[in-house]
Amino acid sequence: MNDRHLTPDEIVDYLHGELPITRDAAVAMHLAQCRTCAEAREAEAALTEMVRAVAQKQERTVPSAMMSSIRAAAERPPQRASRPFWFARPLVALPVALAAGLAIWLGMRSFTVNPPKPSIAAGYLVDRHAITSAIAPFADDAPIPPVFASDNAPR
Amino acid sequence: MGTEQAAFLERAIEQYGNATYTFAFRLTHNEADARDLTQEAFLRVYRAWQSFKPGTSFLSWIYRIVTNLHRDELRRRKGRYLEEIPEDHDTHYFGGERPLAVAPIDDYVESQFSEPLARALDELGAEQRQIILLADVEGFSYQEIAGIIGCSVGTVRSRLHRTRGLLRRLVSAQMSSRR
Repeated sequence: MNDRHLTPDEIVDYLHGELPITRDAAVAMHLAQCRTCAEAREAEAALTEMVRAVAQKQERTVPSAMMSSIRAAAERPPQRASRPFWFARPLVALPVALAAGLAIWLGMRSFTVNPPKPSIAAGYLVDRHAITSAIAPFADDAPIPPVFASDNAPR
Repeated sequence: MGTEQAAFLERAIEQYGNATYTFAFRLTHNEADARDLTQEAFLRVYRAWQSFKPGTSFLSWIYRIVTNLHRDELRRRKGRYLEEIPEDHDTHYFGGERPLAVAPIDDYVESQFSEPLARALDELGAEQRQIILLADVEGFSYQEIAGIIGCSVGTVRSRLHRTRGLLRRLVSAQMSSRR
């Protein structure tokens, strides 16, 4: 402790009673032995006293008119700074948003649950099957031609 | 006005009106601003009276309100509140060197010091003045100050150290210019 002087910050914390108790005791002991640090402590303490002295000159008393105006303002209902647009007010905006969301959801649901029926005639499918079989007879979904079918038939 | 609520307001103004007004004036250095701050602070107290916890410090509560209102007002005006506090990187050890405070402060004790110090206090930013007022004038603990201005104890500590260092330099400059 005695090998170095106290820092101004330590002295400020010491004067404000903000040092941990063991450190506080060590600082007190150092101040008792070190003239330089004791002078620095006096200087910091003097600064605080002077600040207090200056501040004391700024003390004010609440004027009675101010007290009356505080009472009067307290009796008035609090004024709203500004009224938001009706759609931005939570009490209106929330139900509106929910209703809109519900309407969208119902609309999409009815579209996916009951999709529009295909308007392609059955004859088109039959014709397409015939064409596919003719073009690619060995495709997976092509019907087995009779010539091969006969090979598999029991003899 | 509810009877109990009105009584709370009356009691608050009676007991803490002067202290609050003085604190507001010291912060703003302006009568009109201090009046507005004080009035608004007591209105907030009135409206939120039920949130006050008995057994806690009313003064800390209303100072916090004043501090917040002042900060908001300065932000609105884009004043010097957000100014950076100059870092105090000067030597912290003064073995062989005298601290900046010693010579001028000794002079103040022997002569008129209040004017240069008052000027130096005027030169501080709002945040800096706030910390000096709360720590050195009002005598709040670092913990209480942290609660009032809404920051950590470490921030209070470092801000106070820096501000006192700055104050010393400003006072030194004021004293030098007078010579």
